Amino acid sequence: MSETDTLLTLDNIGISFGGLRAVDGLDFSVQKGQIVGLIGPNGAGKTTVFNIITGVYKPTDGAVRWKGREISGLPPYKVADCGILRTFQTIRLFSGMSVLENVLAGQHMRTKQTWWASLLNTPGQRREERALRESCMEIIERLDLADVANEVATSLPYGVQRRVEMARTLAASPELLILDEPAAGLNDQESAELNHTILGIRDSGITVLLVEHDMNVVMRVTDNIVVINFGKKIAEGDPHSVRNNPKVIEAYLGVDEDDDEVAA
Amino acid sequence: MSEFAQQLVNGLTVGGIYALIALGYTMVYGILKLINFAHGDLCVLGAFIGLTVITSMGGATGSPAAWVVGLAFVVAIVAISCAGALLEFAAYRPLRNAHRLSAVVSALGASMMIENGIMLIWSPQTLVFPQGILPSKSWHIAGVVITFTQLLIIVVSFVLMAALYLYVNRTRFGTAIRAAAIDQDAARLMGINVNRVIVSVFILGPALGAIGGLFIGLYYRQAVFNMGWTYGLNAFIAAIIGGIGNIPGAMLGGLLLGLFNALAAGYISSTWQQAITFGLLIAILLIRPSGILGERVAEKV
Amino acid sequence: MRTVFYRWIGPAIWIIGLGVPLVLGPNWISILSIFSIYAVVALSQDIVLGRAGMFDMGHAVYFGVGAYTTAILNTVYGWPILWTMVPAVVLAALVGGLLAAPIVKLRGDYLLVATIGISQIFHLVMVNNVAGMTGGPDGIFGIGVPSIFGYQIVSQSGLFLVGWLLLGVVLLLMNNLENSRLGRVFRYLKEDELAATTLGVNARYYKIVAFALGAGVAGSAGTLLASQLAVVSPGAFVFTESVTLFAIVLVGGQASIPGVLLGTVLMFVVPQVFRELAQYRYFVFGIAMIVVMVIRPQGIWPRRRRIE
Repeated sequence: MSETDTLLTLDNIGISFGGLRAVDGLDFSVQKGQIVGLIGPNGAGKTTVFNIITGVYKPTDGAVRWKGREISGLPPYKVADCGILRTFQTIRLFSGMSVLENVLAGQHMRTKQTWWASLLNTPGQRREERALRESCMEIIERLDLADVANEVATSLPYGVQRRVEMARTLAASPELLILDEPAAGLNDQESAELNHTILGIRDSGITVLLVEHDMNVVMRVTDNIVVINFGKKIAEGDPHSVRNNPKVIEAYLGVDEDDDEVAA
Repeated sequence: MSEFAQQLVNGLTVGGIYALIALGYTMVYGILKLINFAHGDLCVLGAFIGLTVITSMGGATGSPAAWVVGLAFVVAIVAISCAGALLEFAAYRPLRNAHRLSAVVSALGASMMIENGIMLIWSPQTLVFPQGILPSKSWHIAGVVITFTQLLIIVVSFVLMAALYLYVNRTRFGTAIRAAAIDQDAARLMGINVNRVIVSVFILGPALGAIGGLFIGLYYRQAVFNMGWTYGLNAFIAAIIGGIGNIPGAMLGGLLLGLFNALAAGYISSTWQQAITFGLLIAILLIRPSGILGERVAEKV
Repeated sequence: MRTVFYRWIGPAIWIIGLGVPLVLGPNWISILSIFSIYAVVALSQDIVLGRAGMFDMGHAVYFGVGAYTTAILNTVYGWPILWTMVPAVVLAALVGGLLAAPIVKLRGDYLLVATIGISQIFHLVMVNNVAGMTGGPDGIFGIGVPSIFGYQIVSQSGLFLVGWLLLGVVLLLMNNLENSRLGRVFRYLKEDELAATTLGVNARYYKIVAFALGAGVAGSAGTLLASQLAVVSPGAFVFTESVTLFAIVLVGGQASIPGVLLGTVLMFVVPQVFRELAQYRYFVFGIAMIVVMVIRPQGIWPRRRRIE
C-alpha cells in the first residue's frame, strides 16, 4: 500500500488527565478504503482516542496527521471540515428536532448560505434550502428512515436513533467515518443489519474507523484491527491473527494471578 | 501603612458579611446547581425584621438592652430560615426535574416578590438604623481604628464559619450534605434523604444570611428594600471566586472580595469600585471558572 | 387547511393592527406603541436566549446602546430620528458582538453571571457619564420625533405606525430564521454544542453572530424608545429590565413567537393598563413568574412543532 493511500496517522499519541495516563505512545494508521476496528477492554482508552482524533481533546504529546498534515490541536469543527466525522457512544441527537432537521445538520459545512441570506429569505436561499432537503431525503431513504423523517428524532427507538445519527454524519460527506460503538444497544437482527450498512458505506468510498465491543461486528467487517489496553497498543493485524493473539486473549479474559505464580 | 491596615480591617469586616451570605449561595448551588437569586433579598428581609424588633422594643430612642439586640437576631434568623424553607417548598421543589432555566426564572420571581414585598410592607425609602443599638466604643491600635461593630462582625462571622466548617466536615449530616453535592442519585442510593439535605441547606443558608443582613444594617446603619441585589451579587461573586459549590471556597472568596473591594475603593476609585469588582468577576470566569478552590471537571463525551 | 390558517393568522393580525389608530383612543395607541417597541426587544432577547440557548441576562444593554446612539445623534448632531436607526443598529450589534466574543465560551450559569456583570458595568458607565455625552443619571432630554419625506410624525398614531412597521419587519426576519440554515445552527448549538461542532459548526462564530443579531435588533427598538419617550436615561436599561426581558421569553415560551408576544403583553402592557397599581407591579410579577414556572415550566405558549 503506498504512502498516498494513508489517510490518518496517529504518531506516538499520549494524553494525561491529572495523574492518569489515559493514552500512551499510541501509533496506528488508517488506509483509504479500509474498515479499521479499534478494540480493547472497558476503560482501555478507545473513546479517548476518538476524542483526540476529532479535536475534542488535545493530545499531551504526539501528533495526529490527516493526509500528512498535522491536525492535532485543531478545533473539532475544523477537523470535521477535513472530512473526519464521528458518531457518539451515547447517541447525541438534537432533541426536539425532526429526523430531517437532524440530518440537515450534517449538511451545514457543505452549504454556503450567509447569515443575511438566511434572514432575508432570498431566492437563492430558498433554492438552496430545497436542494438541501432533497439531498438529505436521499440519505434518509438510503438508511431506511423515510417513514420517520418528520418524527422527533429523540422519541424514536434506540436502534433507529443510531441510524439517524449515522445519516446525519453521512450527510456531511465524510472521507473518514468514525463510529463509536455503533452496535451498542442493538438486538441481534439490528446488529446484523448494521454490518450490512457499514460495508455499504465502505463500498460507497468512505473509510471507516470503529470502536466496537460486539465481536460479531468487529470480526466480520473489519480489514484491520488495533487492540489497545491501558492506553497502549498491544496488538494489530487482520481479524484472524488478532483473535488468536495471546496478549489479546489475556487482556480480554484477564490472567488468574495464582496461575501466573505457579507458572513463574 | 496605617491607612493600608485600616483598609484591611474594613475589608475584613465587609468580607465576613459577604462570606456569611455567600455560604447560602454556594450550598444551594452545590446541591441543586441553582443560583438562588432570592438569597440576597432574604438577607435584606432579615435586616428589616431585625430592625423592626429593635425599634419596637425601645431601640428607636436610646440604647436598647443587649437582650433586645439578641432577640432581634434570633427573630430574624428564625423568620428567614422559615422563609427559606418555604421558598424551597413552593418555588423550587416543583421544578427540580424541569429544565434548569425554569428554576432560574422562579428564583428571579422569588427575588422580585421578596424585594417588592419589603417595599410594600416597610417603605420605598431608606430606613435608618438608629444610633446606639450597639455600643459606639472603638479601639485605636497603632493608628488603626476598630469599632465595636467591626469587631463583633469579624468575630461572629469567623466563629460561624468555623462552626459550619466543622458541622459539614465532622458530622454525619454534614457528610450527607457533601455527598448530595457530589452526586444526588448516588447519595440517595446510599440511603441519604436528599430532600432533607436540600431543606436543611435552605434553612442553614438563610439563617447565616439573616445574620449577614442584620450586620449590613448595623454596619452601614441603613437599609433599603432593593439593596439585596448589590449585596447578593457581591456575595455571589465571592462564591464564584472561591469556587461555586465549595463551602470553604465561599468563606475564602468572601474575605478576599471584601479586602479587594476595600482596597479598590481606597486606592483606585470608589465610584468605580463595583465596576472593578464585576471586571474581576468576568476575568475570573474566563481564566478559572472553577474558582480558587473549585475542581476542574472535564466533560464526559 | 390548518397549515394555511397558521401561516396567515399572523400577517392577518398584523394588518388588522394597522387600523388601530382609527378605532382606539390615544391612551391605547400609546400603550400599543410601547408594546411594539418592547415586543421587538423581547424577540431579540429570544434570538439569543430562546433560539441560540445562551443565558443572556444583560440584554437591556443593547437596547440602551441603540437608544443612546439615537439620543446623541439627534440632540447633538441634529440627525433625523429614522436615520439614526442605522448607526443605532450597527453600534448595538458591534457592542453585542464585541462583548460576547470573549465570554461566549462560558457555559450556562457562568455566561449568565458574566452578562449580569456587563449589565452592571454599563449602568455605572452611563450614570457616571464616562463619555461626557450621555448626561449622567438624568440622561438626555429633548429627543425629536421621526419624520418621513420631510413630514414630522408628531401624532401618537404616527409613532404607533412606525413601531408597528418595525415589529412587522422583525417578525418577518424571525419567521425567515425559522426555515433557514442560521436558525437551525442556533438550535443545534442550543441542543448539543459538542455534536454540532463535530459536524463542522464553528460554535464560537455563530454564538457571536447570535449575540450581534439580537443586539442589533434590540438597538433598532432603542431608537424608537428614545423618540417615543423623548428622553433616554440609565434607569430604562437597568438590570431589572434585563431580568424582565429574560423572564418574558421563558414565561411566554422559548423560540415561540406567539409566546414571546404574549409574555410582552403580560410584562409591559398589563402594567401600563393598571398604572395606578404601579407599586405592586414587580411584587405581582414575582409571584406570577413562580406560579407560571411551577404550572407550566415550558412557558405559557410553548413552541409548536412544525410539520413539513
